[in-house]
Amino acid sequence: MNNSRFARTAGWLALPCLVAAGLLAWYVTREPATPFSASDSANAALVSRGEYVARLSDCVACHSLPGKAPFAGGLEMATPLGAIHATNITADREHGIGAYSLADFDRAVRQGVAPGGRRLYPAMPYPSYAKLSDDDVRALYAFFMKGVQPAAEANIPSSIPWPLNLRWPIALWNGLFAPTTAYAQKPDQDPLWNRGAYIVQGPGHCGSCHTPRGLAFNEKALDESGAPFLAGALLDGWYAPSLRQDHNTGLGRWSEAEIVQFLKTGRNRHAVVYGSMTEAFNNSTQFMSDDDLSAIARYLKALPGEPRRDGAPWQYQATAAAPDAPGAHTYATRCASCHGADGKGQAEWMPPLAGATSMLAAENASAINITLNGSQRIVAAGVPDAYRMPAFREQLSDREIAEVLSFARSAWGNQGGAVQAKAVGELRGHTDPASSSPIILHMR
Amino acid sequence: MELRINQQTYQVEADADTPLLWVIRDDLGLTGTKYGCGLAQCGACSVLVDGNVVRACVTPVAGVVGREVTTIEAIEADAVGKRVVAAWVEHQVAQCGYCQSGQVMAATALLKHTPKPSTEQIDAAMVNLCRCGTYNAIHAAVHELAQGENA
Repeated sequence: MNNSRFARTAGWLALPCLVAAGLLAWYVTREPATPFSASDSANAALVSRGEYVARLSDCVACHSLPGKAPFAGGLEMATPLGAIHATNITADREHGIGAYSLADFDRAVRQGVAPGGRRLYPAMPYPSYAKLSDDDVRALYAFFMKGVQPAAEANIPSSIPWPLNLRWPIALWNGLFAPTTAYAQKPDQDPLWNRGAYIVQGPGHCGSCHTPRGLAFNEKALDESGAPFLAGALLDGWYAPSLRQDHNTGLGRWSEAEIVQFLKTGRNRHAVVYGSMTEAFNNSTQFMSDDDLSAIARYLKALPGEPRRDGAPWQYQATAAAPDAPGAHTYATRCASCHGADGKGQAEWMPPLAGATSMLAAENASAINITLNGSQRIVAAGVPDAYRMPAFREQLSDREIAEVLSFARSAWGNQGGAVQAKAVGELRGHTDPASSSPIILHMR
Repeated sequence: MELRINQQTYQVEADADTPLLWVIRDDLGLTGTKYGCGLAQCGACSVLVDGNVVRACVTPVAGVVGREVTTIEAIEADAVGKRVVAAWVEHQVAQCGYCQSGQVMAATALLKHTPKPSTEQIDAAMVNLCRCGTYNAIHAAVHELAQGENA
């Protein structure tokens, strides 16, 4: 009797307990509400893809300043006519591109035309970005709209005076020099070559520095169909060397694996990044996938050299040190600890000067500039470099620098030729941070 | 990696690009070699690698694997180094002394390659910096050594 009443009471109690347990189980394992729908996962992938395209394109190099919000603009570019400043390309609706539609964005990136028909200056490398695929432009737009924090940073107006600041003539320049179609696959080449050609000509905009420019500041060639394409050019006080198969001044002695290593780690047994390439490495090339770097290497190795421009092929020659030769003593005391008395450098950490492009090219701006001002910090995979070229601006006179470079450019089989003290003095003035005549975008 | 330093073999765990100076001072405790500028400018970190003077602050450690490194700790085991140290004592070269291990290495390397160097050769080789300005004493000591063993 007692037992059956107990069982009945227990039965009535068990029911609410079961319900409560069920509710608890639901509550602790439920998926909370989110404003995002399932289809947004595709958007996340698109934003991430766009971030990679922005790395390939190195947008950050001009549109960001150290210590400021990313892509808020501000980099000053001096031109012979006055200064222009890279603009805010965050999604801020007032100062940035937050009000841009995808079509507006595309017109700016690939055609150099802002909303309202205002032409951009070709300091923005839209003649290269014109080659971007539709998919990459869409991804890039998604990244800037959703992957970048909007920054209310006002743009800085250019200081170019009227009437030189009229933009409409640029439309005519575009008609002559800027391509209007995206990269077209070359069916007679393999996919790796095509991918490399796409990155080099399009987002990578390698030709902006490495291709010589004509009278109208136009790149003399925009793809492999033109012999001047990536044949080397003077820009910003640096000589961007040939990326073609030139034995001396190009990549003729580099293997595909060495090109990949250089773009991935900033160094290989031939060279270490310096000058403007340090920024391209720090911000762009090291973030490229191994497949893309292999594609770039494959494409560059397919660009033939030009022996008439390049000169007799360099070969190492042991140089008996004549301590009384001008420059030899400076070399022994200032340079040899790192670059070696034999000019061969130290593995991939300190670059050789024997056979180096800067010691073989007739253009000596890079050799002078790096000696005066040293190298910038190379940051590979988040780790700063252990060894850096010091600046000799304060320690060596124009004549001493001219002598030591003349020595190095004629030792070990190098054939770059003598450097004049006057050339050192000019570059010293242009690259002096306190100078009133700062380096200008020569283009040529 | 395996390093040969002062006739001894050391097993070292270091990244390939670690400066030799950090390995010999921090990992191996051979603190006679000094850190000066870190830019190959002053010479305080000079050591010998296969008998040639190098600046350890700009020498990636991977580059000396399989080679014979000599630091100031073992310099008197070398006949030339012993003479150099004796001359340094005789001329009372050191003042604060911070740069002197590097100066001794530079002088030893010079005399091992060129037992009787000319004044020009001495000037070309003895370029390490000294904040105390002991250059005159260094000059006197090296010129005496340059006259040969019997001087």
